[in-house]
Amino acid sequence: MLTNYQTGVYFDEMMKQDGEPKRHYQWFYQLVNQFTERDLMKKHETAQLNFLRQGITFTVYNHTGGTERTMPFDFVPIIIPRQDWEEIEKGMKQRMTALNHFLEDIYHDQEIVEAGIIPRELIENNPYYYNKQVSGIDIPLRNHIFLAGVDLIRDENGQYRVLEDNLRNPSGMSYVFQNRYVMRQVYPELFFQHSIETLEHQLSELHQAVTSHLPANADPHKSATAVLLTPGIYNSAYYDHVFLAQQMGIELVEGRDLIVKNDVVYMKTIKGLKRVDIIYRRIDDDFLDPEAFRPDSALGVSGLLRAYRKGNVSILNGIGNGVADDKAMYVYVPDMIRFYLEEEPIIPNVETYFLSDPERLDYVLDNIHELVVKNVGASGGYDMLIGPQSEESEREEFKKKIIENPHQYIAQPTIKLSRAPAYQEGRFYPCHVDLRVFVMNGEKTNVLPGGLSRVALKEGSLVVNSSQGGGGKDTWILTESGDHHA
Amino acid sequence: MVITMLSRVADSLYWMSRNIERAENNARVLSVQLIHMLEAQNQEAADRDWEEIVEVCASAKDYYSLYDRLDRETMIQYLTISPFNVNSLMNCMNFARENARSTRDILPEELWEVLNAFHLDQKDWQELPNTRQHTQDYLDRVIKTSMTSQGVIESSMSRGTPYTFIKVGKWLERAEKTARILNVTCEKNRKEADVPTDHYYYWLTALQFLNGYDAYIKEHPPTMESKHVLSFLIKEGTFPRSIRYCMDHVMEAVNKLEGGKISHYSEDLFQMLELIQDEITSTNIEEMDMNELMSFLDHFQDRCMTLSRMFSQTYYLIEPVHVK
Repeated sequence: MLTNYQTGVYFDEMMKQDGEPKRHYQWFYQLVNQFTERDLMKKHETAQLNFLRQGITFTVYNHTGGTERTMPFDFVPIIIPRQDWEEIEKGMKQRMTALNHFLEDIYHDQEIVEAGIIPRELIENNPYYYNKQVSGIDIPLRNHIFLAGVDLIRDENGQYRVLEDNLRNPSGMSYVFQNRYVMRQVYPELFFQHSIETLEHQLSELHQAVTSHLPANADPHKSATAVLLTPGIYNSAYYDHVFLAQQMGIELVEGRDLIVKNDVVYMKTIKGLKRVDIIYRRIDDDFLDPEAFRPDSALGVSGLLRAYRKGNVSILNGIGNGVADDKAMYVYVPDMIRFYLEEEPIIPNVETYFLSDPERLDYVLDNIHELVVKNVGASGGYDMLIGPQSEESEREEFKKKIIENPHQYIAQPTIKLSRAPAYQEGRFYPCHVDLRVFVMNGEKTNVLPGGLSRVALKEGSLVVNSSQGGGGKDTWILTESGDHHA
Repeated sequence: MVITMLSRVADSLYWMSRNIERAENNARVLSVQLIHMLEAQNQEAADRDWEEIVEVCASAKDYYSLYDRLDRETMIQYLTISPFNVNSLMNCMNFARENARSTRDILPEELWEVLNAFHLDQKDWQELPNTRQHTQDYLDRVIKTSMTSQGVIESSMSRGTPYTFIKVGKWLERAEKTARILNVTCEKNRKEADVPTDHYYYWLTALQFLNGYDAYIKEHPPTMESKHVLSFLIKEGTFPRSIRYCMDHVMEAVNKLEGGKISHYSEDLFQMLELIQDEITSTNIEEMDMNELMSFLDHFQDRCMTLSRMFSQTYYLIEPVHVK
């Protein structure tokens, strides 16, 4: 099947340069070789249809309105050996601990600024720093990051690196479960010879993490009422919200279902108002409460912030996390780990240059064809230049934008993102991949085994975002016995 | 039994159910009419009754605000896939799906899949040429989708609050549609009382519209007495589309929601339901003339509207919500 497959200069997850599979892919390779071409085509179609029929879609908006699309699914899993995974797991826990310290610190004493490690203006000028709204309050468990989605990539040496920390509303966890579900339905044969980490208990872990964030003034004699707050069916990640609410057995609410009276949050039910203790919100900070943030928000709930400040309700993820996960603050995360934990980062960053530094700026302008330039405020692959793949005119346009507004941009060397085989339209070909790892924090920290492997299905493309043609893959963590086996 | 539920969710379930039921009923009416057309001996016969069809499935007034005259193809378009008719089959099915989508977390997965499958195929329908066969297939698909949805609901939903709201929506919608069809049929009869027309045909059609012909024939071997048909469709306790049957089931559902108890907030609702039940049982259909029947049916349709409003108020399906 993979006879003409070329790994090229890239690190390949599955294949070695000599055309043989890596050790931990051997079983998979053999099993796939037993499928006929017809089997593969048929299974591929069945899998795609499965997503459409179940309405596991996200909405893409353009000038003509919204279209519901499924995320293309690719059946070649990303298999991670036990040892590698343990390293990632440790690295994620370390990173989350440091980032949480950082958030707690900058909304209280600002020791890291006092120590001269992070420039004050970088924090204070950050549009997501909501000092006025949330500084000085003690939140349950002192935990700001209930759920993080950390995007990891591997460079040409196979070294994992953190590309992005998503500490606001990371989405995509439902796909991890659906990918596994569809995989088991359509490719059951592949599971016979593999022993992999199950996802079964993960949603109850998530539920526990939610309910452990009891607000200070919750009624100790009643079990806490938790809800998931969604912007509604037109949100691009609506399926994610439905899935998580349903699986955790908590109510899926919209802003209009909630009301704040005397600084207590209630939901409107058929039998009157019912008190809400914990809100896992999937609405961004600035839309959360028109009284405290954007007054034009129709999605939020008036008075929510007051209830939060008084300890009458918990809001997850915490308000004001955006200051810690933007592309500028990213550069300082290794320093945060050293400052708060006195440890060296286990999983390194990607080297990043600030363009506000004049020397760096000159270097970047001269070498823009070799670099990736990103807008610090943008996400989802938007307002970004991939030097080696860009046209002269695009580079000129970006140079202009950078010179006009150097603080708004960062640059990184173009990393030779690792690749893995993908099977689409009847053939296998190499595609760039990344991995979003989900970290849940409550009374303890739990890293979901595996995560969402995203794949840039357009050949040669480096953009894995689902809104721009990216797809998903199942991710397998081999269990201890599985490792011997494979 | 789940005691409480978000008002918005209850509202969505109620309207999902009403829209599925409405689509099925309208599809059946249109389907019966199209078959009658085929059997018609001449063009005149084929063109008759269309205004009544529009009145049953939508509103003739709304139709005339968009179009000057009753053109058959325009009407079929208007009733099936027109975006300008809120009660077109396409719109009803879209509303049903949107409502299901916003309550997916509490609905059986298969119910969503049935409604979603219809939606996914609908895009293809819109591109097909507007032939009689395609229209019949589309109507058939609407009816089957509704029946499958009901099958999923009955076979897999717990008999809790969400289920009960779905049922109330269905029974209310059904009762209203039956009243509407009878009203239009009575009107037609009255208008043509002096003309020697085929009254048999009208009552037969009414039974077919309500999928009740077979059931009626078993009770009343082949006669088509207007009094019998009316009595059957209004008062027959065993036929699941008679007004009485539907209202008895609304009562049963509300009783279940309240655990058999009448509280201060549900008192008005119960009183109204009892009043309606009384009005149905105490009415002697056989002794009424067409005018009296029509005013009875008009009155009942008003009652349905009042009931629907009271139901919404009792369960806060509309603002405001107060602390209890």
